[in-house]
Amino acid sequence: MESKKELPKFAVLQLSGCSGCEVSLLNSDEWIKNFDLVYMPLVVSTHKIPEDVEVLLVSGGVRTDEDLHNLLKGASRSKKVIAVGTCALSGGVAQIGEGHISRETYLDSAHRLRLPSMLPRAYPIDKYVHVDLYLPGCPPTPELFITALTEAEDAKIASIVCQECGRKKLTDMRPTSISGRRSGTPDPEICLINQGYLCVGTSTRGGCGALCTRPGHACVGCRGPANPYLNKDPEFVLDNLRRVFTRMTDIPLEEINAELASPWLSLFLGQFTDYTQDQSLPQRTKEKMI
Amino acid sequence: MTTLTYPLSRIEGHARVVIDIHDDEVFRADFQAMEMRGFSYYVQGVPAEQITVIVPRICGVCSTAHQVASVKALEDLFGVTPPPLADEIREVLLLGQLIQNQATSLFIFTMPDRVNASSLFEMGENPESKERQFSLAQMSLKIRKIGTDLITLAGGQFIHPIKTVIGGVTSSIPREKADSMIKTIEELLPVAVNLVDNYWQMSMEMVDRIGTWGDDEPTYYLTSTEANNFRLNSDRLRVMCEKGKECHIFAPQEYEKFINIESSDYSYAGVSDFQGHIMRANSLARINLTESFGTPIADAYLKRFGDAHGKPAHAILFFDLCRGIELVYALEKAKQMLETDLQNGETMVKYQPRDGIGFGLVEAPRGPLIHRYEVESGLIKNADFIIPTVHNMLAIRRALMVAAKRYVSADGINSELERAVGRVVRAFDPCIACATK
Repeated sequence: MESKKELPKFAVLQLSGCSGCEVSLLNSDEWIKNFDLVYMPLVVSTHKIPEDVEVLLVSGGVRTDEDLHNLLKGASRSKKVIAVGTCALSGGVAQIGEGHISRETYLDSAHRLRLPSMLPRAYPIDKYVHVDLYLPGCPPTPELFITALTEAEDAKIASIVCQECGRKKLTDMRPTSISGRRSGTPDPEICLINQGYLCVGTSTRGGCGALCTRPGHACVGCRGPANPYLNKDPEFVLDNLRRVFTRMTDIPLEEINAELASPWLSLFLGQFTDYTQDQSLPQRTKEKMI
Repeated sequence: MTTLTYPLSRIEGHARVVIDIHDDEVFRADFQAMEMRGFSYYVQGVPAEQITVIVPRICGVCSTAHQVASVKALEDLFGVTPPPLADEIREVLLLGQLIQNQATSLFIFTMPDRVNASSLFEMGENPESKERQFSLAQMSLKIRKIGTDLITLAGGQFIHPIKTVIGGVTSSIPREKADSMIKTIEELLPVAVNLVDNYWQMSMEMVDRIGTWGDDEPTYYLTSTEANNFRLNSDRLRVMCEKGKECHIFAPQEYEKFINIESSDYSYAGVSDFQGHIMRANSLARINLTESFGTPIADAYLKRFGDAHGKPAHAILFFDLCRGIELVYALEKAKQMLETDLQNGETMVKYQPRDGIGFGLVEAPRGPLIHRYEVESGLIKNADFIIPTVHNMLAIRRALMVAAKRYVSADGINSELERAVGRVVRAFDPCIACATK
């Protein structure tokens, strides 16, 4: 093993999130040899991010005043910042109830004595700090973590999920409603859209190995929109999905539109389309995406 | 008055311990969750069938348990019975999570405490200890990865699984994949046993050094596993009362009759009691309520544990040893189950959604987890998540008091207190994201 001093300092800062990104990172041991892990409260008992950190991974959204404080401090001590997972990129699952009446009740119930205060919503981290690399996914696979940490420049990422899925798209199997999930075991070889599932793999960034669609669950879009839809209005992505469903199915347009407005899609599709509406957020270019 | 604040690491989520001391006497020890997830609020209005994708995101450590509990709650609500093969595959999935979780708690969270190190990856000073530490870390991650691989095999996605759906599972487990998994388990089971033996030995040495296994007063114990047929894909809860007797058995639908849950002014996590009594869930509760695992190595450990510490056993550091026993059990059991036919047969039945109220129960690594949904016009009207970490909250506080009193005296505050606080909390392996829903 190399001596500890020669290895670059590596820190993992977890803001408000589910720890799933950290759990994913721990599924690979390859980075142990390449980095000196100096800060990661989930596995190391240190409560201070040291100076001169080479790479800072940030997971979770900016949800509390404490998150914001830790983010600003961490980024100022680090050369390179990588945003990891849906929450760091968009605030994440906490945005589902945005606009819903339950949000007020939620914030009203969130006052405690001597504890961090909640911000009005969960924010993506690039609202506050410069981000060098974005790694979307809920969570990203261990392989994608290794790519982001060691070979980001030469990364070859499948453009959409369909590329890695391997299910056959048929022209003569046209469902008339999105009710596949209620109809028993899906056929393992045929495209889930042909089988009446609301699958958005056609517009979703690949690289995940089609982990969900291959065993038979529709893609919900956790890797976010593919390169052509970056920095585009949300309608642009939805239009493309409408075209796919009109071309491949006989499902009425109203049903397609209603399903595309689903919370489980807004959870992820929204993560990249939302931010195009907020002028205070920087543009995310494809060169910065893994 | 003096207030000591200890931020916590090597647990899931953001939390701290606050101890108030007045005139050299400890009068309060509190465990505070520092974040709030808010799922029970923002799933209101979500189409019921979509909640199974959303709620695993409550927590990336316990996501498998949340996903299965969520699906089971909707099956209860829609009146759907999944085929037997689906139930078997769900059990394999939950065993994968138990392996991943117990390996994380044992090796990443608590093993460093045994040697006063700050992390599993903290390398020793000399080449020999450095090499030993490095190989320990690599072996630990390998064992942990079996859990992840099982989750992927039986659950599809490896953190937020997707194969468990309303009506069953989306696909079965092909023979050749089961065989290759069996091979890995056969190869690594001796490594796991070795690690657990090492951990056991290190724990004894630590207890020799500090002189205690921690708070050992009896409490109630809560599990949803059975005494002789240990299943995580469970359907009823069992309780052991003061005298070590099993005193209640109840369905998840009845939980409110027994368990009282309140919110706290000082923490984002709730606190619960069992009809006014302190209770404990998690590994020690399960071991106290288990007669036999039905797998040879785990049963040998179960006997060794009972012979050494009695049954029921109460000291909190036994939670850690019990996790080791369960890690071995889950590896053995997963192998047994993969040897059966999980490839052929119906995996999913058709269903029609309807409105109503439904309950879903599973035994999560931290104890029984219940999801309760109320659905109106196809939308979630109310969602309740009854979280095992919350059931341990009073027991955590009491154990912190015991530790604080041990290390605070007229002579001052012993510097061992900070380490003791870490050991106490980690013994319960709390999950903060879940506890604040």
